[in-house]
Amino acid sequence: MSTITTGLNMGGPMAPPGTPEEVDYSVAPEQVSLWQDAWRRFRRNKLSMAGIVVFGLIALIAIVSIFWTPYSLFQQGLGDITDPFSRAHPFGLDASGRDELSFLMRGAQVALEVGLLTAVTTSVVGIAAGLLAGFFRGWVDTLISGITYIGYGIPNLLIAFLILFITNRPSIVNVIVALSVTSWMDMARLVRGQTLALREREFVEAARATGTKDFKIMTRHVLPNALGPIIVQATFLIPQAILFEAFLSYLGFGLPNPDPSWGAMVSSGLGDRFLAYHTIMVPALALLITLMAINFIGDGLRDALDPRQAK
Amino acid sequence: MASLLEVKGLKTQFFVRGGRVRAVDGIDFRVNRGETVGIVGESGSGKSMTALSILRLVPEPGKIVEGSITFDGRDVLAFNDDELRKFRGNDVAMIFQDPMSSLNPVLKVGFQIEEAMKAHDRFTKEQAKERVPGLLSRVRIPDPKRRADEFPHQFSGGMRQRVMIAMGLSNEPGLLIADEPTTALDVTVQAQILEQLRDLNRELGTAIVLITHNMAVVASICTWVVVMYAGRVVEQGPTEAIFAAPQHPYTWSLLRSIPRIDEKLGSKLLTIKGLPPDLTNLPPGCKFHPRCLFAVDRCLTEEPELVTVGPGHESRCWVQMKNVKDPDADLRETPLVADEEAADAAAV
Amino acid sequence: MSRGTATYAAKRLLLVLGTAFVVSSATFLLVHSLAGNPFTCERNPAGCAHEAFVHGLDDPLLVQYRTFMWNLVHGDLGTSYVNQGAQVTPLLLKEAGNSLILGLCAIIVTILVGLVVGIVAAVRQNTWVDYTLSSFVVFGYSVPSFVLATFMIILSAILLPNWANSIGWGSPEQIPIPAIALGLPYAAIVARLVRASMLDVIRQDYVRTAWAKGLTGRVVIVRHALRNALIPVVTIGGPLVTGIITGSVVIETIFGVPGLGKEFVNSILNRDYGIVVGLYTFYAILVGLANLGVDLIYPVLDPRIRYA
Repeated sequence: MSTITTGLNMGGPMAPPGTPEEVDYSVAPEQVSLWQDAWRRFRRNKLSMAGIVVFGLIALIAIVSIFWTPYSLFQQGLGDITDPFSRAHPFGLDASGRDELSFLMRGAQVALEVGLLTAVTTSVVGIAAGLLAGFFRGWVDTLISGITYIGYGIPNLLIAFLILFITNRPSIVNVIVALSVTSWMDMARLVRGQTLALREREFVEAARATGTKDFKIMTRHVLPNALGPIIVQATFLIPQAILFEAFLSYLGFGLPNPDPSWGAMVSSGLGDRFLAYHTIMVPALALLITLMAINFIGDGLRDALDPRQAK
Repeated sequence: MASLLEVKGLKTQFFVRGGRVRAVDGIDFRVNRGETVGIVGESGSGKSMTALSILRLVPEPGKIVEGSITFDGRDVLAFNDDELRKFRGNDVAMIFQDPMSSLNPVLKVGFQIEEAMKAHDRFTKEQAKERVPGLLSRVRIPDPKRRADEFPHQFSGGMRQRVMIAMGLSNEPGLLIADEPTTALDVTVQAQILEQLRDLNRELGTAIVLITHNMAVVASICTWVVVMYAGRVVEQGPTEAIFAAPQHPYTWSLLRSIPRIDEKLGSKLLTIKGLPPDLTNLPPGCKFHPRCLFAVDRCLTEEPELVTVGPGHESRCWVQMKNVKDPDADLRETPLVADEEAADAAAV
Repeated sequence: MSRGTATYAAKRLLLVLGTAFVVSSATFLLVHSLAGNPFTCERNPAGCAHEAFVHGLDDPLLVQYRTFMWNLVHGDLGTSYVNQGAQVTPLLLKEAGNSLILGLCAIIVTILVGLVVGIVAAVRQNTWVDYTLSSFVVFGYSVPSFVLATFMIILSAILLPNWANSIGWGSPEQIPIPAIALGLPYAAIVARLVRASMLDVIRQDYVRTAWAKGLTGRVVIVRHALRNALIPVVTIGGPLVTGIITGSVVIETIFGVPGLGKEFVNSILNRDYGIVVGLYTFYAILVGLANLGVDLIYPVLDPRIRYA
């Protein structure tokens, strides 16, 4: 950053207070790193910041619910079913007389657990596969690309069904595994594309010329430069996983009873829809708010990390 | 005789987060019928923005904030949407810097030229279609009938630029604005395009405003030169006068920085020190003074007005090059070789 | 169609068939080797064993596989495990017809709504119109389709009482609501894609050239901007079909539409292997064809792309 000074005394008694003695006509604006720049732009996006706040709240509720909920999930027959909002049960009761609020809180925990763990697992597997395929090409690439191609042709949810169908034992681990098995291929394809482009760049060539080991090149050089789109994709994996889990629970393939998942709540609520609307609306709204919040965050991240908007 | 285009006091600014970028900060010039005017300046001097302002194509977040643009006696800035549409591509046409990206990749070339004509009421659909091969051959594209049915990516860079010229001239505009038409092209192709423009000016009498950062390009086809710096006109005048005796230090430096074949071996090439100014934070006084070799005290505090230094020739400077005794002095300081004889002997 | 494209299409078709083969084999082997006997044999051991015999479940896996493949190639998906002796293939074909109608209507909704919303939001970028539409778009793809379906049922019961029951299938007025519930989430995704692509294209030099030629706003937006903007959007075709298939599973269940989606759920719950494997195969072929269709549209939209 070069500056051009005038060599003229700009201070003195007539100058406004705070004027430096020599004025600096810098010709380049302040330089910031890519991440700082992105963070600044992200902060300016009000919807994304709102999303973070909401997500934080939900995470808080989820954590609390592990240790405490107003009522146990197994307690039934707690009161009048059709009474939506009472002091003892702020969100009413479901058809079996169980406290909706407790289910709602636990549902948050399930959603976040499934969402985050699936996103993490998918990302790890996907990034590894994509890096290997893109970097080494050859038979590794053919194999991985072949698998992702076949996987691309089948609706993810249906593969998840198949896995759950076969294992036939509802548990949260099975759900996460089923979801991850279907989703890693999208991430792998993205990372592969990025790797293919990046490996031709000069800095990779330079690293190779200095004898850097392949693994180091992949993790220290290629991966950090591909992180932008990866982070965005990973963020969108969370609501996708939550949505899928809601679908599965809705169709009865989710967790064992009592299933606090919001999808299951909507499902059971639908059966009673002419008894009490709140059993449908409350978990549906919870799903909606959570998914929207995370999607806003993802959108904000995508705009913030867009290289075309970088200074 | 009334001029064809008259720009007075034009100010175009961009309203961004850091402040206001004064891209064009009060310029005056005119173009007469059939004339070729060159607008010269470096990146950020405001030359492209001037051109875009004439057609009112300034992109967001920019706005023309002040000034007047008169074409053939009509006030361009007062046009409503319909009048503006009829003005563009018809009275005044514009061709852009990068022919690669300036043509629509999914539409046939012939169609894009037809489209330019069909948008205005001068030709019928059939006439427009018939004119296309003629236009293409006028810009020397061989086999025009077949090529009209092809897509832009099937043409080379130089030919694409010719297509742009053909498109621009299709409605026989009074003025053609060419924004750095040769910058994206090879040197040999550059010469062809410039020759093309010169021929069209002579044959059709179309006035041309040529925007460039390259003084050599200006010399080849322009009769009048406008030199811009930091959004202002710093020198203006007939081409011969400007090239023979440039009065503004910036113009002088631009000319001195072009290597010439008749220079003595060993003399230094001038480079203009420093970088283009930050348009949100311009220095006081003359905008060029931080980079000027001949600045005096007055230049740091007072901005000079345009001063007439010859017939039609004006320059915005307190010093004026004609008052500088030996401008090449410090360029002869350190020759590359010890003495001339050794240099001649080495060259043999 | 040029020769290069025809060759490409032929290769891709083979690939689709190959994928279908892999999928059906994998599904078959997985299901039959891991998922256990579909017939609960505690209550009726004799009858159960008979069923197993009839369906060939006593044979070794490879033998079953060979029989299955042979039948599959002849279009015979066997008999249903649940409905005694009912042939699977004709049953599925009828349901496929229903699903196809629903799916196509949903896709029409998706494309129409998505295009309009995306274009308007892009052209009026950063105005309140854009913000409102963009918020609806986020809403659209955040709402699980079964939630949306539920809301729509409730709403239609209140607002359109003279429309007979929206649940069920048989009269044309029962099509719009499930089609909208199925298509709207994807309309949101398409809208977002269209908007982003239009914003990108509007800034391009050739759009500026179009303005400089004096073309009207409508011509510039539709003929110059939109045609280029649609090229990346077309990629969504494959995932769109996939998404409609996934969504149809839920939507058909809720609305009681006798289609493949509902059949899928029932078969899984009832452990009706024959249908399950058949459906997976069918879906694989459908998605493969959809992707091929998308790839064949590219050269039409973008003359720079040619399959050599």
